[in-house]
Amino acid sequence: MNRFGVARYVAAVAVASLTLAGCGSSASSDGSDAATSAKKRTIGVSFDLLNAIRQAEKASIQKAAEAAGYSVVFDVADQDAQKQASQIQDLIQTKKVDAVIVIAQDGQQIASSASLAKARKVPFLAIDRAVADQQNVTFQITGDPVADGKAVADEFLAAAKTKPLKVLELVGGLTDQNAIGRRDGFNAALAGQPNITIVSQVPTDWNPTQALDGTSNALQKDPTINAIYIPSDFLLPSVQSALTAAKKLAPIGDPKHIFMVTIDGDQNGCKAMQAKTLDADIATPVEEFGKQAIAAVTTAVGGKPVDPKTVQAKGLTLNQANFATTSSQVWGCAS
Amino acid sequence: MNPATVVHGRLRAGVRREPLLPVLVILLLALAASFQEFATVANFRNIAVQASPLIIAAVGMTYVIMTAGIDLSVGSMLFLAAAIESSQAIVGLPTALVFAAVCAAGALMGLLNGVAVAFTQVPALIVTLATMQVFRGAGGHITGQQNINLPANLLGIGTGSLLGVPTPVLLAVAVALAGGFVFSRTTFGRYVQAVGSSPDAAANAGLPVRSVLVGAYALAGLLAAVASLTQTARLGAVQPSIGQGYELTVITAVVLGGTTLFGGRGSIGGTVLGALVLTTVQTGLVFSGASPYIFDIVRGSVLLAAVLAAGARWRNLAHAVRLTGRRRPSRDGPYNSATSA
Repeated sequence: MNRFGVARYVAAVAVASLTLAGCGSSASSDGSDAATSAKKRTIGVSFDLLNAIRQAEKASIQKAAEAAGYSVVFDVADQDAQKQASQIQDLIQTKKVDAVIVIAQDGQQIASSASLAKARKVPFLAIDRAVADQQNVTFQITGDPVADGKAVADEFLAAAKTKPLKVLELVGGLTDQNAIGRRDGFNAALAGQPNITIVSQVPTDWNPTQALDGTSNALQKDPTINAIYIPSDFLLPSVQSALTAAKKLAPIGDPKHIFMVTIDGDQNGCKAMQAKTLDADIATPVEEFGKQAIAAVTTAVGGKPVDPKTVQAKGLTLNQANFATTSSQVWGCAS
Repeated sequence: MNPATVVHGRLRAGVRREPLLPVLVILLLALAASFQEFATVANFRNIAVQASPLIIAAVGMTYVIMTAGIDLSVGSMLFLAAAIESSQAIVGLPTALVFAAVCAAGALMGLLNGVAVAFTQVPALIVTLATMQVFRGAGGHITGQQNINLPANLLGIGTGSLLGVPTPVLLAVAVALAGGFVFSRTTFGRYVQAVGSSPDAAANAGLPVRSVLVGAYALAGLLAAVASLTQTARLGAVQPSIGQGYELTVITAVVLGGTTLFGGRGSIGGTVLGALVLTTVQTGLVFSGASPYIFDIVRGSVLLAAVLAAGARWRNLAHAVRLTGRRRPSRDGPYNSATSA
């Protein structure tokens, strides 16, 4: 009886796995005509996850690849570094793609995938997230988190000319280079500024609930906080919820308004800019990632070295003063 | 008997029953003495609201752990329930129907876990590790990994209040009271304790072990969905990373509250206290202005302390059983199959 039950369970899992594998293969062939077109070059793309910014990055790669005459095979690793390594191995060895573009789940672990690509003479490109060991990486383009943190600080410095700021600083994942860079750039630029005091630093682990609770707690601790640095638009709804609960979400010009700046430039940020509850947003140059990565693929498959090998693209400052003229260049406002 | 002696005796019994209670009281007093802004009604309300979803989810997890099981999928169930709530097919329905659909979905997810655990030899750890990925993947598929704002009618459960008491707190109190009642006063609750103490003995006594396991996991799924409703309402939106790592927090609250990971022993009151201690520590860290790195150290230390305390309790218990040659008693009294069946 028991064995029969186990056998049925195993059979059910096997059937489910086969079904899922079928779904997976159809999903991963998104945009790919590799099997039907012998001449068209194929780029394998492996993302760590697929959220709003990744969707924009995927679109920018597909747009640039299409313009350059490439087809794209797309995989998502669901934030699993092992899964990403397997997917890249499959792209290189089974699907025999001509180049690989990766957003690494883990900047250290991805090194083995890069060395596999080099051994098979497949150009290996990293975008958005830096890869620790650059030795086998053909080209890398990322944002510049330190510069973005400084750009946020510039907005704070401008605001502090009219009134002293007591700042709540939210911090992203403490093991994430982007989060650390955004924090360090911000803190370095504000060090010693007399009109700006960071009264609370709250870690969020990029978790919206922690951002909500942390903001609520900080506002309880110090009700005079009048400025918040949010290191990603992704956490903006949590902060807005905390401010709403504390009856402190007010538009610019209202005495209750809390000065806020974020990074990324997604739809949340763009909507808040339009509603004038957000003062500035440092937008990640997503379009550049796709354009420059595909240009580097063309250079590399042509047998030439890619120069420069590493690019750090600074974010674009979108604030209330330039919103009308600049918002069209921000991916979250355009989508 | 002298009334003072009676009160003192009851207090001692209460502390012996819930050793976390004095810890919470000392913690609150220490924070209130250290930070002027801490001991305010608004802040206690803040702590209670923040602890509410954790209490709700942890009550369900208590039942699972009481059966000597574990549910690693609770965070993913929370996310999938939120994703279902925000889906086009559900979000436009009348509020009561949305809540009913989400609760039904949560119960179904728990049922799936329960059936897999009860009817196979696969350990709960493996089953729920697998469903953790399945549920998160399904949630990601529904939401497209996008932030989805919820309409105003779905936010009241997380942001509203009744007679000045926040809705999530009322809900958490109701869940804790009902959970405690079912746990200690119903046949199902006693079966859960019996199955956790010794599934073989429970089966030999004719108890429906598989049904009890399925029921415990289904209840955990249902309560994860209720926690999801309050949490997403507080956030105002469904976000792709909701519930990530939440299983650790929930399990920590339960174990900290005195429920042993080996099953058969625990209490809902302890779980509520565990959740309150965790939330108070989190709030205290912000008030203290500690370095962000300290937060992780403290959170990890609390988990370690909970596991070590659970281990110590287990060793003491095993020692007592060896000495007396008797079966370990349940915290809520010895299980008696003759009376509870």
